[in-house]
Amino acid sequence: MSSMDNDIEHGFYRHGDNAYVAQVSESEKEVLSNLVLQILELLGERSDNHVDDPLAAMVGITSHDTPPEDEVLLRLLPNAYADQVDASEFRRYTESTLRRKKFEHAMAMRLSLENALDGIIEVDHDGANDWLGAMNDIRLALGVRLKVEQTSYEELELLAPDDPMRPVYAVYNWLGWMQSSLMEALMNEDI
Amino acid sequence: MVKLDEKIDEAIKELFSNESPWVTIVWDDPVNLMSYVTYVLMELFGYTREKAHGLMMQVHTEGKAIVSTGSREEMEHDVARLHEYGLWATLQRGDQAL
Repeated sequence: MSSMDNDIEHGFYRHGDNAYVAQVSESEKEVLSNLVLQILELLGERSDNHVDDPLAAMVGITSHDTPPEDEVLLRLLPNAYADQVDASEFRRYTESTLRRKKFEHAMAMRLSLENALDGIIEVDHDGANDWLGAMNDIRLALGVRLKVEQTSYEELELLAPDDPMRPVYAVYNWLGWMQSSLMEALMNEDI
Repeated sequence: MVKLDEKIDEAIKELFSNESPWVTIVWDDPVNLMSYVTYVLMELFGYTREKAHGLMMQVHTEGKAIVSTGSREEMEHDVARLHEYGLWATLQRGDQAL
């Protein structure tokens, strides 16, 4: 896991009883919209998809019992069992539901970005959870691209200015910071 | 017939015994924020901040932690919800080595 410092000046803050507000710039809004759209596209279709049995599709059974070939999609839709037979069986009955739930989080984030007037995003508690889930999925996807499993954060901090991964890492960090600010706002409710 | 009885006994034991409940395990990963893991455990399982924080720290320092125990169906439900929020979770029998 990683940690973020708590010295948050902007990002989300609590506004009234059940509202969380953040102000984003036009370029930040564009970056968020593009990223969430990529997640929606990724979750919408599996590239290794084959024709579904319509009856199976109706009752929520996907024909997928193998893990996704795409590395990012595999991180978003991981195996539930270490045992391959159990993992396949579980995936066959649950993957479409998991994809739909993640799709719903991302769609909620996309809609509130579209509805943001003057860059002001406002969500309620459920909307905040949608945002947290969707921002986390984006970070997981960027994390795969940045190879954070194999690369230390110290190495990522030292990326050369012209390294194509440098802006990706900057967005990854910024999203973590946005996520932290929203959690701070949510958790301070209990105190 | 003795053999069949034994099998039935075993099946009954399997169904009603709490000796080897199933467990949900959360595994450490470098992406999820520590505060996010704590928040998700509080939100999904209704754990206090202290309990959720303790489990998160166990994941962070030991690489994994059992976050819930129960029937196989309950653990499948818990794993699905953790996956929905991007935590790296699996389930297994409680008597299996972690």
